Amino acid sequence: MVFKMARGPADPEVKAKVLEYLGKVQKAKSRDVAVAIGASKSDVDNAVKELTAEDLVEYLYITTTFICLKGKVQTPD
Amino acid sequence: MTEKNTPLLDELEKGKWPSFVTEIKRAAVKSEAAGELLQVLERSYKERRGHWKHGGIVGVRGYGGGVIGRYVDEPQTYPNVAEFHTVRLLQPSGWFYNTKTLRTVCDIWEKYGSGLTNMHGSTGDIILLGCKTEHIQPIFDEFSDAGFDLGGSGSCLRTPNCCVGPGRCEHACYDTLEACYNITNEFMDELHRPMWPYKSKIKFSGCANDCTSSIARSDCSVIGTWRDTLRIDQEAVKEYAAKINIKAAVCDKCPTSCLTFNAETQELSVVGEDCTRCMHCINVMPKAIQPGKEKGATILIGGKSTIVQSAFMSWVIVPFMKMEAEDDFAEFKDLMRRIWEWWDEHGKSRERIGETIYRLGMTKFLNGIEVAPVPQMVFRPRANPYVFWNQDDLDRSGTALDGSKL
Ligand code: HEM
Ligand code: SF4
Ligand code: SF4
Repeated sequence: MVFKMARGPADPEVKAKVLEYLGKVQKAKSRDVAVAIGASKSDVDNAVKELTAEDLVEYLYITTTFICLKGKVQTPD
Repeated sequence: MTEKNTPLLDELEKGKWPSFVTEIKRAAVKSEAAGELLQVLERSYKERRGHWKHGGIVGVRGYGGGVIGRYVDEPQTYPNVAEFHTVRLLQPSGWFYNTKTLRTVCDIWEKYGSGLTNMHGSTGDIILLGCKTEHIQPIFDEFSDAGFDLGGSGSCLRTPNCCVGPGRCEHACYDTLEACYNITNEFMDELHRPMWPYKSKIKFSGCANDCTSSIARSDCSVIGTWRDTLRIDQEAVKEYAAKINIKAAVCDKCPTSCLTFNAETQELSVVGEDCTRCMHCINVMPKAIQPGKEKGATILIGGKSTIVQSAFMSWVIVPFMKMEAEDDFAEFKDLMRRIWEWWDEHGKSRERIGETIYRLGMTKFLNGIEVAPVPQMVFRPRANPYVFWNQDDLDRSGTALDGSKL
């Protein structure tokens, strides 16, 4: 599957910071990640897009959509 | 073994109308999951309690939506529906298919899923009900090869949806099918990768009859309209006059009282600038009245069902936008980007855009998206105490602040 990269490739530094931050929490909203790592929301969105395609991050739906490190959060009971 | 009888559900097979119970029983011939679904439902009817849980991680690689996790709360009792996920497929505009395509959809779904479909959900998508987690990726891969893509779920752009528009309906003021297709393709990232406080939906209705219920069931409603005056064929009016009471059925029901029927001359006249383009007169006398020639759409924002706040209907933010050429669509897309950016920045988690506007105020919102306030944004602008007019504007209109003539 090829993903359309609308905003060009993501910034590797932002990707690394997103991974680092997600390592410290269970799950987060992308906006909170952007605020926490001091990056723009669209840069974070772009990084998350690549990280999910790389199977490092995944989306999680618990009343709203969160992101988390792949496999970190189990499906809730 | 669970009880196989379903006396309560069987009641729903009686009568002349179609029955979802009959359909699920048909699917159960081939699918054990469909059979168990009936057992769970019968039990829920008996106990008056639901037995489903939802949420969690279900998706395909790189996508954050399109599959909705459903789990039965007693997997030991109902192993075949322990996982019973819903798959949303992006529908073609106007739901036009040939039989070959429908067969492809059903064949893939029967191979992996329960065989149960909902064509179509109120979301607009093709809804496929009931599959196991391990089959999600193969289902996606096969549908992808067949030319399909997943729809939206979660905090993303939800599957945009349109009325049949010019495909079958004479009332369409713009090509809803083309607009929906074009704009959906533009926002694939927003659709597949949930990045917002909550969901956001766009619905396209070709006229104010609003067959997609966009004003109540979408965050952004794109409703067909015209900016000149509706067209009246006086000969056809005379034919209607022989059959219906035009004054009672049409003029008296015009919300802005702008239609007059002259019983003597049998002619119908309209005060064009007072018409709110509600479609009532056109619906009653379609052979005699039609929209004007300069057609386009009104853009409204903020409709939603009850979540943080009660249900809202959407508010007008652009009274008229052309919806014909690529440039018009580009203008709409640009507006949507500004709107989403503002909401993404100011919205709280689980807040729909209507709720964010409600909390922060329309003024902040309009400033944020760089749209100037106009009278069409409010119901009866002159009577609205929240709209403040400059004396200059009033001088030009010929009306003083107290409503008297200047
Ligand atoms: C096996 C379990 C379930 C099945 C088969 C199922 C099926 C459906 C279907 C077919 C629709 C679409 C109706 C339409 O658009 O015409 C729908 C809508 C909906 N479902 Fe479920 N559902 C299940 C479980 C749940 C659960 C557990 C929840 C919430 C906790 C839920 C919440 C909703 C909501 C809010 C809608 C409305 C969406 C809309 O109006 O567009 N469902 N469901
Ligand atoms: S919304 Fe208007 S144009 Fe669309 S199908 Fe309904 S009546 Fe026709
Ligand atoms: S479209 Fe509605 S508001 Fe306009 S003239 Fe007809 S009934 Fe009146």
